[in-house]
Amino acid sequence: MEAIWLKSYPPGVPGEVDVHEFASLAEMLLSSCRRFDKLPAYSNMGVTLSFAELERASRDFAAFLQKGLGLPKGARVALMMPNLLQYPVALLGILRAGLVVVNVNPLYTVPELEHQLDDSGATAIVVLENVAHTLQATLLRNPKPNLAVITTEVGDMFPTLKRMLTNAVVKHVKHLVPAWKIEGATTFNAAVRAGHGQPLEDVPLNDRDTAFLQYTGGTTGVAKGAVLTHGNIMANVQQMGAWMARDLVEGKELFVCPLPLYHVYALTSSLVFMRIGAHTVLVTNPRDMDAYIRELKKYRFTIIIGVNTLYRALLDAPAFADVDTRALKLTSAGGMAIQRVVAERWKLRTGVTIVEGYGLTETSPVVISSPLNLAEWTGAIGLPVPSTQATILDESGHELAIGEVGEICVRGPQVTPGYWHRPDENEKAFTRDGWFRTGDLGCMDERGYFRITDRKKDMIVVSGFKVFPNQIEDVVAMHPGVAEVAAIGEPDDKSGEVVKIVVVKKDAALTEQALLAHCREHLTGYKVPKIVEFRVEPLPKSNLGKILRRELRKVGHVNKATSPPPVARA
Amino acid sequence: MPDVCLAARPSTYRPRHVVLRDGRGVTLRPIVEADAAAIVRAFEHLSDQSRYFRFMQHKKQLDGGALQRGVHPRPGHDFVFVATPAGARTVNIVGAAQYVLAAAGDRKTCEFAITVAEEWRGSGLAGTLLSSLVRRARYDGYQAMEGFVLAENVAMLALARRLKFKAEPIRGDATMLRVCRAL
Repeated sequence: MEAIWLKSYPPGVPGEVDVHEFASLAEMLLSSCRRFDKLPAYSNMGVTLSFAELERASRDFAAFLQKGLGLPKGARVALMMPNLLQYPVALLGILRAGLVVVNVNPLYTVPELEHQLDDSGATAIVVLENVAHTLQATLLRNPKPNLAVITTEVGDMFPTLKRMLTNAVVKHVKHLVPAWKIEGATTFNAAVRAGHGQPLEDVPLNDRDTAFLQYTGGTTGVAKGAVLTHGNIMANVQQMGAWMARDLVEGKELFVCPLPLYHVYALTSSLVFMRIGAHTVLVTNPRDMDAYIRELKKYRFTIIIGVNTLYRALLDAPAFADVDTRALKLTSAGGMAIQRVVAERWKLRTGVTIVEGYGLTETSPVVISSPLNLAEWTGAIGLPVPSTQATILDESGHELAIGEVGEICVRGPQVTPGYWHRPDENEKAFTRDGWFRTGDLGCMDERGYFRITDRKKDMIVVSGFKVFPNQIEDVVAMHPGVAEVAAIGEPDDKSGEVVKIVVVKKDAALTEQALLAHCREHLTGYKVPKIVEFRVEPLPKSNLGKILRRELRKVGHVNKATSPPPVARA
Repeated sequence: MPDVCLAARPSTYRPRHVVLRDGRGVTLRPIVEADAAAIVRAFEHLSDQSRYFRFMQHKKQLDGGALQRGVHPRPGHDFVFVATPAGARTVNIVGAAQYVLAAAGDRKTCEFAITVAEEWRGSGLAGTLLSSLVRRARYDGYQAMEGFVLAENVAMLALARRLKFKAEPIRGDATMLRVCRAL
């Protein structure tokens, strides 16, 4: 397909970006640390780390991983924590030591964590004490004598007094740290101190080396690790930078990051702004809307990212009216489609149009984005970003004409080389010509704008997080009182979609409460069904026993007529 | 309503030995009641993905009723082929293909499904089973064959296309396609 979208690019956005400016992501980020050394790099709960401090702490942590733990190039290190100052230190440390970051959702349950540790073969994990009990339970089920455990407390990067006070309040006042005990665990601060006295060997890295194993669900319910190389992430940092950061001033911007850095969209976005020396304010828990708004009031922020659910919640919060948004230059959204009403209210309130990024974990994530100069909400997902090809293919892999609906497929330097140890998944994900299949159905118009019409993958998107029905069905079916179950997405104003389960009971005494309690044991919060429907008759099936989900979704599709389907976005 | 495709015709089928693309041989024969245990074993060896592609839901075990219907096809309406490795001493089912009267209601269309054991993927067994199924359905008097395939099951869609099936979207469900052909 001809790159007709280039004609629709806003002035100043190049068709191609230089993805080889740096040898590795570690080198790219270190270059920013050195250029902007005295400037604030990250703040969290009122404490700020300068770029120079980030460089020093990450060096020491890298030396600990390399010399203290003896981890060789390519070893996987899991990071299980929310947005805290330790996160960028650990991230940069892992990359500098030539190791691979495995991001883990800190709210994962024991089976979810167990799978990710097993599949990635992680040999070290940095875990927040608040969730260390999950790791302890995982290790009891599945001992890993070779796993080095590094624990951290919320206030570990704070000055001494504030650190002691914060950690004591978290533990003893708010009771946020369930009891845990893991033999041989070391603390994050002890690790950094130990690394301080140790040399850091330079590990030669290139763009083909793996930087991240970023886990994403699968239709069979088993999460798989998308390999994201240094080249993939550097490319997306350059692409997103060229797309949306050209009006930003190096070393002068203030970026508010309320989305978790373990999610690829927040991760890459944060690296885009770190690259230009922006000061990043990490918000640990944006669900605490009062605290989040208090944080916003402290800063004259120029950049903010979020998902539709979060923007909507901000706009609905009366206290947001007092937040000064006059310095705001850029608002970016990913994870799920922005609803028209949210886009329009945000523009009205702040004067800034929300730039939407579309993509997947496997594409680092952004492949298509709405342009910065978009006058109003169009419902399209936008144009392919620089150095990216996108096309529409039919079921046979043939390219379709403008306006015809098929699968959106992409190629570019940000696209994963494949899944970790899953050649079967690679075969499904790529065409013979190397196009990556997004699983979203849509079309392209004559200006090069792409639009999503439906979703091919059986998937539910809850506030930007993907949920695969089979994983939910697997867990629900484990309950002895369940005869049959199907999980489907139900449209929801707040989170785009919520998980609904339709259950046929084996045990007539089975209650919704009992079933949900069972789900909470095995599933992270956003995956737990919000709607439970019990039915007496068997689930609708074809004559050969294939579940006919359309019969279960019928009500949902009536709603779809008035609002576009929630789509998987970066 | 009289059955258009009802079998006044005999439903016998002589077992057939087939050499597959990868050189391995299988025997293709109609299912018999005694195959039930082997079908259960074969199901247990399928990967989660194969089960999901076949049933479009999480399925830990075959339910008894479906199994019994499967090993007792109604002559002239339904047919089930099983493939067993040539020379095997015990019954080891490595592939199965079946059709039943479709829910469409015209009584001229049958619905098909195919399952192949993981280690026999890429051998050409699925193609052999499906083309045999097409011939058999024609023999039974059906005029069309349809199947429901998950949109991400690219291998099955490619096979169906090679065997002249057309893929059609299903209104209200983009995750699934209906493949169909005249017989």
